[in-house]
Amino acid sequence: MSVSRDFSNDGKQLVIAIKGKFDFSLVQEFRQAYSHIGDSQPTVIIDLRETDYLDSSALGMLLNMRKSLGSSVKGIQLVNAKPDVRRILDISRFDKMFVIA
Amino acid sequence: MNILIVDDQPANQVMLSGLIKRFGHHVTCASNGVEAIDMFTSLAPDVVLLDVMMPIMDGFETAPCLKALSGDVHLPILFITALDDQETLLKCLEAGGDDFISVPFEPVVLQAKLNAHARVRELSHSLKGKNEALAYHSNRMEREQNVVSHMLANALQENQTEYSFLKTYLAPANEFNGDLVLTKGGPLGNFYLFVGDFTGHGLAPATGALPVSQTFFDLAEKGLSVANMVEEFNRKLVKLLPDDMFCAAFVAELSANGERLTYWNGGIPDALLINEAGQVEKRLVPEHMALGILSPEEFSSQVSHCFVEKNTRLITYTDGVVEMTNKADERLSERGFETLLLRYARERDFDGLVGALQDFQQDQEQLDDISLVCLNCGVTNLPVSRPDTNVTHLPFRLVVYLKEDEIKGRDPIIKLVDSLSHLEGIRAHKTTLYLLLAEAFNNTLEHSVLQLDSGIKQTGQGFDEYYRTREERLAKLEDVEIEIDIQYQPDNSLLSFSIASNSENGFIECQDNTEDDELLTFGRGLQLIRNFSSYVDWRDDGRRLYIEYDLSLPHA
Repeated sequence: MSVSRDFSNDGKQLVIAIKGKFDFSLVQEFRQAYSHIGDSQPTVIIDLRETDYLDSSALGMLLNMRKSLGSSVKGIQLVNAKPDVRRILDISRFDKMFVIA
Repeated sequence: MNILIVDDQPANQVMLSGLIKRFGHHVTCASNGVEAIDMFTSLAPDVVLLDVMMPIMDGFETAPCLKALSGDVHLPILFITALDDQETLLKCLEAGGDDFISVPFEPVVLQAKLNAHARVRELSHSLKGKNEALAYHSNRMEREQNVVSHMLANALQENQTEYSFLKTYLAPANEFNGDLVLTKGGPLGNFYLFVGDFTGHGLAPATGALPVSQTFFDLAEKGLSVANMVEEFNRKLVKLLPDDMFCAAFVAELSANGERLTYWNGGIPDALLINEAGQVEKRLVPEHMALGILSPEEFSSQVSHCFVEKNTRLITYTDGVVEMTNKADERLSERGFETLLLRYARERDFDGLVGALQDFQQDQEQLDDISLVCLNCGVTNLPVSRPDTNVTHLPFRLVVYLKEDEIKGRDPIIKLVDSLSHLEGIRAHKTTLYLLLAEAFNNTLEHSVLQLDSGIKQTGQGFDEYYRTREERLAKLEDVEIEIDIQYQPDNSLLSFSIASNSENGFIECQDNTEDDELLTFGRGLQLIRNFSSYVDWRDDGRRLYIEYDLSLPHA
């Protein structure tokens, strides 16, 4: 499983972790991971600790997620990116739309 | 039995040996102490009948020598004496005599005495055997404990507890600690903490430390999540531990910026978040059963997250802390501990808190292992791991021709980057190289070959539609070849690659999207290529995309 989805014990955080390569081949899996989040307005945490590769299609998928979740979530955080992955996010100015931590 | 008669009077020798042989014993005679000592070792007598007055060496002098030769096994010495003055009898006893036989010899009494002393000797023999067995086992036990202790010490060598933001108080109840506190920095500058409490104390629980610590260090090194870690701990412990043994554990990860704390608490008393003002901000209560109980299918690795303010402290401890007792045999209890904790929290006086705990306990025997950990949340300042960037010194060229079968199959670019990553120094660049190659390849494939229009990606549905069309057109693809030419020049550390297809069409998106204020869901590919490469060019009338990447450029 390249995409995993886990709610925290208190239901306030939804952690989506992506393993290996993050690109359009995960488009369905990734969308499923953030569907049915309920009314609790969780914070979505995209955990990139095991993400080694990503390309522009992954960036597009992140933006689509943001658009589709809108105000049903408290916020979206991109966390634990490795330095090179982080650089791609920074250069694409994703800090304007996501919390990158 | 072997009986040694030591007497200088032949008449006594004959009489005694005659009697004793009749009882069924083996008899040897010596005429004085020196003779007796000479034959003692080879003869190994069970009982010695010793005359008092003899030439050369008398009985008083001989007795202690024979006792000494007999070593740990009791040697009964019966003095042969005609004298009945008390002083001589006393002297016999002082010299090590155990009994007397008097002349004339009474056969019945002699036999009874020999049998009685034989029994004592037998008892001494078996005692010696048992002592030896005991000593052997005790040695073995000690040796084995040393082995385990050595292994534990080695296993925990990686365990560093010297961090500016971490304070610990660890007090095992005996030599082997059934509590386990492990810490390690992760590859992202993040920090992992494990506080465990195995059931029971001593050797057995301490051995559980081996698999747990090995797993902890391995997974922390890889930077895996707390959920992955606890799953792996549980899987190992369920397999290894007997049914009545388990390990309560608190596992936490603090992000490199110190703002995010992720934890899993299985059976450890409430950990506490203490805010700057020294008050309890949040209780991190146990939400799960201890490790090593539930099968992997039943086990829940669901974690909790908190966002923590700078200088928030995480306090976690094992139940040895709240179960410690004072002179009046009263338990400290959680309430008592928290009262002490808050007394020292505002001043951030960890040593003061430890001192207060010791004052409470005084000289009371400690029944359980005690571990208390204080983690100050903030930027960890731990190093971020960097792969080796030493560049290979051999120039190379690699040309790959991808036909429709390779293109339709699993991502050919990841295979290419995986292969290149085996080359010295290139591995460190794999994320960026993948990005450049994937963007260039997809651009060629999607625009020159498949004739897709990026514009449709603008909406959420469009995005899906774009990739659906891509799949459809890809499936029908025939007689296509995409060439990727990769070259490395060591003189300027340049890795260049050009990519072209046999399609008639050039790159549709030669013009790039420069509206960098807008985050568009499309058209970002070429922008990324520009950002991460040192030179980009379209060649062969826009049919070949040429990119240079400088391996010596500083990393992110």
